[in-house]
Amino acid sequence: MRTFKVKRFLHGDNLFKLLTAVFASGVIITLSLIVYNLVFESYPVFDRFGFGFFTGVSWNPVAGRELFGAFPYILGTLVTSIIALAIAVPISLGIAIFLSEMSPSAIRVPLSFLIELLAAVPSVIYGLWGLFVFRFWVVDFVEKPLSTYLGFIPVFQGTPFGLDVLTAGLILAIMIIPTISSVSREVLIAVPNSQREAAYSIGATRWESIRIGVLSYARSGLVGAAILGLGRSIGETMAVTMVIGNAIGSAAIPTSLLKPSQTMASLIANEFNEADPTSLHPSALIGVALILFIFALAINIFARFLVWRVVRVRGGSV
Amino acid sequence: MSSYTFRRFKDKMAYVFGFLCVLITIIPLGSILFEVVRNGFPALNVEFFTGLLGPIGQPGGGIANSIQGTLILIALTSIIGVPVGIMSGIYLAEFGDNRFGGTVRFFIDVFLGFPSIVIGIFAYLVIVLTMRNFSAIAGAFSLSIIMLPIVAKTTEEAIRLVPNSIREASMALGVRRWRTIVSVVLSTAKSGIATGVILAIARIAGETAPLIMTILGSQWFFAGFDGPMDALPLRIWRMSLLPYDYARQQGWGAALILILIVLTLNIAVRFLTRRKYRISM
Amino acid sequence: MRIKLDLNELKETDDLLTSKRNGTAQFSETLDKYKIEIELLNAWFSEKHALKDISMNIKANSVTAIIGPSGCGKSTLIRCLNRMHELTPKARVSGQVRLDNEDIYAGIDPVIIRRKVGMVFQKPNPFPTMSIYDNVVAGLKLNGVKDKKKLDEAMRKSLELASLWDEVKDDLKLSGSSLSGGQQQRLCIARALAVEPEVLLMDEPSSALDPIATGKIEQLIISLKEHYTIVIVTHNMQQAARIADYTAFLYLGELIEYGDTAHLFENPSKELTERYITGKFG
Repeated sequence: MRTFKVKRFLHGDNLFKLLTAVFASGVIITLSLIVYNLVFESYPVFDRFGFGFFTGVSWNPVAGRELFGAFPYILGTLVTSIIALAIAVPISLGIAIFLSEMSPSAIRVPLSFLIELLAAVPSVIYGLWGLFVFRFWVVDFVEKPLSTYLGFIPVFQGTPFGLDVLTAGLILAIMIIPTISSVSREVLIAVPNSQREAAYSIGATRWESIRIGVLSYARSGLVGAAILGLGRSIGETMAVTMVIGNAIGSAAIPTSLLKPSQTMASLIANEFNEADPTSLHPSALIGVALILFIFALAINIFARFLVWRVVRVRGGSV
Repeated sequence: MSSYTFRRFKDKMAYVFGFLCVLITIIPLGSILFEVVRNGFPALNVEFFTGLLGPIGQPGGGIANSIQGTLILIALTSIIGVPVGIMSGIYLAEFGDNRFGGTVRFFIDVFLGFPSIVIGIFAYLVIVLTMRNFSAIAGAFSLSIIMLPIVAKTTEEAIRLVPNSIREASMALGVRRWRTIVSVVLSTAKSGIATGVILAIARIAGETAPLIMTILGSQWFFAGFDGPMDALPLRIWRMSLLPYDYARQQGWGAALILILIVLTLNIAVRFLTRRKYRISM
Repeated sequence: MRIKLDLNELKETDDLLTSKRNGTAQFSETLDKYKIEIELLNAWFSEKHALKDISMNIKANSVTAIIGPSGCGKSTLIRCLNRMHELTPKARVSGQVRLDNEDIYAGIDPVIIRRKVGMVFQKPNPFPTMSIYDNVVAGLKLNGVKDKKKLDEAMRKSLELASLWDEVKDDLKLSGSSLSGGQQQRLCIARALAVEPEVLLMDEPSSALDPIATGKIEQLIISLKEHYTIVIVTHNMQQAARIADYTAFLYLGELIEYGDTAHLFENPSKELTERYITGKFG
């Protein structure tokens, strides 16, 4: 054990370790600063509306008659994300199982490469495609039939125009499939082979050995993967803002799949630059950002915890 | 034994379902690529690459400033993000098996899936308000926060892959630990680190949300680090909102350029890591 | 072979019989009954030729041990007996393995074979998310058995056969992985027995266990031989000598010697066998 002398301490090795540690702490410092700034800057709007900011449904930035309630946007975020998850999770699981357990190794690499490419496409290009191409697919193949045959059900009411909750949810689904499937694949690969062999040895078919040997073992990790997908979808901004219709205030409450709406992220993207800096508006938007931040933080922490339980050592390359 | 044939059937169905899932997912990819090429290609001409936009509503012009802006942002962001990311990665891999390292690792993982628009607001509050101006610095600041976790994580993994025997060989020659890391370990891990950096660049090249409130956007060429500027993703968004055909076509054109950049970077990474995958399979 | 015993061998074998076995079927009845006939079996991992022209016949209701140094192909051999070898990517097999006179590689679904030929692994691998009860009946449920009474019966019978019933009968809802190593292994044996196989393959079943648990497993194996044919891979020669009726010695993928355990250990015919047994290499 070295005697602690200052001269010895300013040794190359210790300095280097200190230097790298300082850089590494940048992450922690940044996150703390983000929290601080968000809270500080949004304080005015919380001071003014208190808890009503979370539950209010009106949104009026006009000076003198300001009303700010984030509830419709919280709902919009949740509804679009739930739609996205409902579609993306089964498909992602199917992909993960197919690629990691079933497919011949020759096509495994090219196929997984293609799916990862999907993750590389920038959000704004998804939005562009969604606005000018996908939207019409949704209208023609989903919304028009829904409206015609099931239009009496409240959830399917509205004109099938394409810029609405449904399209946003569907595009989000496509965007989060690569995330969920790649994490799921890592989780499945982490299941020890002895589990699969145990199932085979009592006469299970391939699917059965996956079901009882792999899936039940990997359960919590797979749930974690899905929640990670949820985390990604609530933060998605550009693609959503281009296809969700951008409604404001109480009109944004997602009462039907075919109605335009708004998510927390898309609201900020739409209004931030036009918000009058002297008014309460920016503070309100930052307040919405704070809510989004808390959601994202909680979801990400929970998801990582679940994934780590199965994958254990290192998180892999996500 | 009909129970047995049913089990066989379920097995087959599982395979078919899995295959269909993959197929369903590849269709949007194909469509996106197809549409971007189909709609964007006609927009490409010399003026597109060299000219600036005229007043709104007037066809013609180009996105030269957007391309320039994206390149400047990539450079600036990398200057900030790459060193910090690599140093963090080094710390985590070489010294980080303790509570502090665990905490840092955890925060990095949290940051990886983070809403980029919140990061944009942070950059706005910290840089734009302080400088009293939209700027490349604010933009690069926000993008570097997005870049940092990616570089740090891939650097850590690349360094961990370096076998201990190499470190020991170097230390046995009397080389100090920090020198060993910098000279020996890093150069062994350099391709892994490089792929991480390239992937991060591909990611930030396409980021739009944080740019909205940091660089604002501009019709002019880059005019200094203390004023607004333009970038490809922002241009795409703004063009898509205009009700003019020429604008939309330019939006697709810009999208084509952007996607070419991003896909090229991704495929380059794939190519570089191809051999690594072969060995570990 | 066995019909042409000379008097000396007959006496030796008789002594061994009475000291090792009790309550088995008539010797002469099992004389001609081979449960498994292996003929010119070859196995490859990619380019590596792991088993070379193995031919041997395994008697029904006996314990056959396979011994040999590391890497000689012992595990590969038994994994070829229930078609688990082919689960490894780039694995290949040639030759015949006949179970009750039917080649298991000729056009039969491996799933069916694996019900008849069960396996217990070196490291116990109960399903951790399932209770003890669910672990045991897992195989039955897969085969469509839904009747709770039948499942309960089968479970109890299997656990009793595996000598685990008394220890867990009050805690059947506990997770499979909450038991000790030795108990987990017996649970895996119960799970394998629940689907009523005819043959039980055991790949170094007690090498991960402490001596007391090992002793229990060995006793279990001897008692199971009454109803099942058991093939056990072991790197522990003393274990083979303790519990096996027949022993096969494998070296670098080849079958060097195979026969009555006592004979192999006390009077091996091949020099290689003798050198292995006396510890000249390992």
